[in-house]
Amino acid sequence: MANSLRLYLTCIRNTLEAAMCLQNFPCQEVERHNKPEVELKTSPELLLKPILICRNEAEKCLIETSINSLRISLKVKQADELENILTKKFLRFLSMRAEAFQVLRRKPVQGYDISFLITNYHCEEMQKHKLIDFIVQFMEDIDKEISELKMSVNTRGRLVAAEFLKQFV
Amino acid sequence: MSQNFHFLTERERERERERMACFDRASPALKETLLKIYRAEKPIEMDQRLFEFGAVEYHIKSSASDPQYVYLSISTPLLSQEVSLARGISQGTAQTIKGIHSDMVELIEPAAEGYQLTLRLDFYKIPQGKESSKIITEIASIQAAILSCQLKDMLTNVTSQDTSQGMYKPIKLVYHPREPFFVVRQPEKTTAVFPMRFQEKTDVIIATAFFQELMDVGSSEAWVKVPLCAWSPIPPPELRGEQMEDLSTNGGFISFDILPRHVKGKRLDKTVWNLLNFYAFVKYHVKCTRGFIQRRMRKRLDNLVKVLHVASSEEDGYAIDPQAAGCGCIKSIISVPKPNNTVRRRCRNFTRKIKRMRCPIKIQGFRRFRRRWLTVPKFSSPFKYTKLD
Repeated sequence: MANSLRLYLTCIRNTLEAAMCLQNFPCQEVERHNKPEVELKTSPELLLKPILICRNEAEKCLIETSINSLRISLKVKQADELENILTKKFLRFLSMRAEAFQVLRRKPVQGYDISFLITNYHCEEMQKHKLIDFIVQFMEDIDKEISELKMSVNTRGRLVAAEFLKQFV
Repeated sequence: MSQNFHFLTERERERERERMACFDRASPALKETLLKIYRAEKPIEMDQRLFEFGAVEYHIKSSASDPQYVYLSISTPLLSQEVSLARGISQGTAQTIKGIHSDMVELIEPAAEGYQLTLRLDFYKIPQGKESSKIITEIASIQAAILSCQLKDMLTNVTSQDTSQGMYKPIKLVYHPREPFFVVRQPEKTTAVFPMRFQEKTDVIIATAFFQELMDVGSSEAWVKVPLCAWSPIPPPELRGEQMEDLSTNGGFISFDILPRHVKGKRLDKTVWNLLNFYAFVKYHVKCTRGFIQRRMRKRLDNLVKVLHVASSEEDGYAIDPQAAGCGCIKSIISVPKPNNTVRRRCRNFTRKIKRMRCPIKIQGFRRFRRRWLTVPKFSSPFKYTKLD
């Protein structure tokens, strides 16, 4: 792993460890309701300041925390058009299957490619450090998957091109 | 390059080669119909019309009274409107068709009305066994032969009509509707230019990546013998003066330089077929690549979800902390998994329902009787007060 990527991921991991201290907190506006405050933002006293971690202009992570929920939004690097289309396709594919992940948001926050919403219930159901591991591994995997997909598409193109030209011989 | 090969398994590569080789010259529908007539135990009466690609039409006529002969008429759009043909097909095309099993296939003149070509097929002369299928496949590929002949004529004959004001005039060819391409005939070479159009942006990007690979591979030393290939996002100078609708593309322009050595002998047929099917080839590659991406994403999704499910199941107590587990021999003998929250909730609801169902009918004095005789006595301390009924 590149050194800069390791630092970036470590920074996100540390921030998540600090931010993921969520507790059950009923909605202050509606009785008998329990809603993620980071989404509703009805009471400013329940929100913490959002943290933006940037590796570069194209790669960044926004962590928004509230008393009972946490929202993580990621922007994945897209070096060229092919990477851009592959990233969009892949993240859309994942977002459409958000129910399989439980913590994945169906629609990313504006300006980002993918968003996660973790509530205190998720922290109760799953282990906190496992959740953090998942987010960090997800980020690693996405980068790896996009670059592998790009190489595969190019390799396929090269093989097919060779097959086409072979027919002239 | 060799490092990247591990992304495609040998099986996938083999399958890809097979797929790419499947651009069949024979019309599947025509082949099936002819085989049906040939294999029929009793002579069939048939008068059937088949349409392909919207503009190619076949008319098959067979009579039960005369089972020896089957009449096949073909109408196909011309590759180029500019190269006018006086009637039906050119002499070269007619010669080629006559060359296809001349003992079994006879060209009827004049052709049936509305068709460019009518053939009389002598089914009695077709040999039995595997050979019959081969011959019928060749007959079913006559439309491809007609189109190939037209392009062959263009590639081999360069006339003085091709030049105007010192420039070589491009000829617009339409093999598939909405996908025209151009052939520019010059004395030393012929250039085939393909304006590439795609419906979706994804397709454009995948195709562009393919074109760049095609250029790279084509310009390498190993492929000196193949036509030189070039891709440009803007129209090449040869197409200057053509209609705007033909020059507006989203995938750029691919051009192949066909030299005389590429159209010599047997190579002419290969070159012509490759040029005619270039569009289909690119579109097929784009479609397959999209499928490949989708398959890969699906596979990846499973791996990603697995990580999260491991975390979830560990929390539920299925995974045991090795430090807290102690000696595992007793646990392995009595291994009863802990009920999770959902199971507990369901049990609670079930018990509640049973309680509600227990006494739906009220009987006077039964409650007192139940309390007196049917309740399980509670354990109580002798030092505490017990209420007496």
